[in-house]
Amino acid sequence: MHDRIGLSFAGVAASTLPFLCGVLGAVIANVPISFLGSVLPPPLLAFMPVYFWCLVRPDLMPAPAALALGALEDLLSGGPMGIWALSFVVAYALVDRERDAFAGLSGIGAILGFAAATLLVGTTAFVVVAISHGQFTPLGPVMLQAASTIVLYFPGLALLNLLHHRLIGPLRSDY
Amino acid sequence: MANGTWKIARGKGSPQLSIAIVAVLAVALVVLGRAQSSLFDRARAYFSDATAPMLEAVRGPVNAIGHSVRGLGEIFVVYQENRRLKEENARLRQWQNAALVLEQRLHRYQLLLNAVPDPSLSAVTAHVIGRANRPFLDTMILDAGKNQGIKPGEAVVDARGMIGRIYLVGQRTAWVILLTDLSSRIPVAIEPGHIQAILSGDNTAAPGLELSRQGIVLREGQQIVTSGDGGLLPAGLAIGTVIWDGSDFRAGLLADATSADDVRILDLRAPPEEPPTPVPGDLPVSAAGLPPLAPQPNTSLSAQTAKPPIAMPHGVPAGAKPVVPVTAPAAAPPDQTDAQDH
Repeated sequence: MHDRIGLSFAGVAASTLPFLCGVLGAVIANVPISFLGSVLPPPLLAFMPVYFWCLVRPDLMPAPAALALGALEDLLSGGPMGIWALSFVVAYALVDRERDAFAGLSGIGAILGFAAATLLVGTTAFVVVAISHGQFTPLGPVMLQAASTIVLYFPGLALLNLLHHRLIGPLRSDY
Repeated sequence: MANGTWKIARGKGSPQLSIAIVAVLAVALVVLGRAQSSLFDRARAYFSDATAPMLEAVRGPVNAIGHSVRGLGEIFVVYQENRRLKEENARLRQWQNAALVLEQRLHRYQLLLNAVPDPSLSAVTAHVIGRANRPFLDTMILDAGKNQGIKPGEAVVDARGMIGRIYLVGQRTAWVILLTDLSSRIPVAIEPGHIQAILSGDNTAAPGLELSRQGIVLREGQQIVTSGDGGLLPAGLAIGTVIWDGSDFRAGLLADATSADDVRILDLRAPPEEPPTPVPGDLPVSAAGLPPLAPQPNTSLSAQTAKPPIAMPHGVPAGAKPVVPVTAPAAAPPDQTDAQDH
C-alpha cells in the first residue's frame, strides 16, 4: 500500500528495524543489572546490528545510524560521552572500506571478521579514553567485553539472519 | 551464516564523505562530552528514574544470583578464610576496647577545652538497585534521589568504609562514582603523619595515591582517611590502607562495592565559613590615607555599594536586624568515630 510519495509503511518499518535492533541491544546491555556479580562487563550488543547490516545492507545501517547507536551506548552506560560513538564509527569505516573482504567470509570466518571489528571497537575506545583522560586504563576489561560480545555473536548472528530473511526481506520487496 | 550470500546494496551518494562527516561529529561529541558532561546527565538521570521500579523488582533475585556466582570461587578457601576471620576478630575486640577508652578520654578533653562541636552529619540509607562495571566506568545506582534530599558530591559509605561519591541525582535515583572509577579524585590523608594525597581511581581494584609533596616515604599498612579538604566530604572517613603493588603505593580499599547492598549517603552540613567583616582601615583607599570615593548618585548599584557593609548571616530575611559578627575559633578536625556514628 504505497502512499503519494512512494513510501510504504512496510518499507519504512523495514528501514528502521535494523536501527531499532541496535537501540534494543544498547538498552538491554546497559540495564544496570549483573547476573554474574560484575565478573564480566556487559557485551556490546548494539554493535552487532551495526556490523551485520553494514555488511549485508549498508543502506539500512548508514554511518549516521552507527554514530547514533554509539552515542546511545554512551548515554545509557553512564561513561564518558562520545567514546563508543567514535569507536563504532571507526569500525564502521573499516568494514565499509573492506566490505568485499568481510562479506566474502563465511562460517567461522564470518565470526572472525566480527571479532576483528569488535577488537577494533575496543582498541579505539581504549585509545580515546587514554587520550581524553591522560591515563591508561586496564586493558583486561576491554578484552573481556570484546570476548563476551564475540561469543554472543554466535546466537546473535542467527537471530539477525532470521530477522533479515523473515521480516526485513519480505517487507522490502524492492530489494 | 555466510555473509557472502548477501547482495550488497550500496547507498547513493558518496559514502566515504558521509563517514568522514560522521567521524568529525563523533570527535566533536567526545570533546563536548569531556567539556560539558552535565549536558547529558539529565538524560541519564531520567533513564535511571524511569527504570528504577523495574530495578527494584529484580534486585533481590539478581543479587542472590550474583552472590552465588561470586561465592563459587570462595568455596575452596572457606576453611582458611574462617580461621583468618577468627584471628582477626580477636584482634579487633582488643582494638574495640582501646577505642572505647580513647573515645571517653577524647570526650572529656573536648569538654575541658570547650571545643567547637563537629559539623552535624546526617545520613540517608539507600539500597543499591544497579551496578555498572564497564571497562571505562565503575558506578552503582541507588534508590534515593532528590526526593530524599540527596545532593551531588555527598559521600557514600558502607559498614566498612567509603565507597564513592554521588555524582548524578534524579528524582528517585542517584548514581555513585566509585573510588575505583577513572574520574574519581578524592583528597585523603595518610595516617600517622597526616600526609596529604589525592586518591585517584584508574579502574583497577586499588586506586593510586598521588602525594602532595615529594620525598615522603610511605609504609604498607598506613591508614588512609578522607582529609576533608574542600569541605565537600567529611574528614576522617575510613577508606583503606596503603599497599605496595610491586611498583607503586596504592590504596587497598576497605569497602567492597561489588557486594554492598545497603549504603549510607552522608550529608555534611558544615556551616559556610563567614569572612570577617571589613573595617574602614581594610579598604585600600583608607589604608593609603586617601579620602573615600564619593558615591555615584544616579546608579542604584553604586548607591548600594556605598553603604557601610553589614554582615548578615545566611538564611536571615532581608528585613531582619543585622547582627554583630563574632570571630569563631577554627573548628577542630572532626572525630572519625563521631563522623560515622552521627
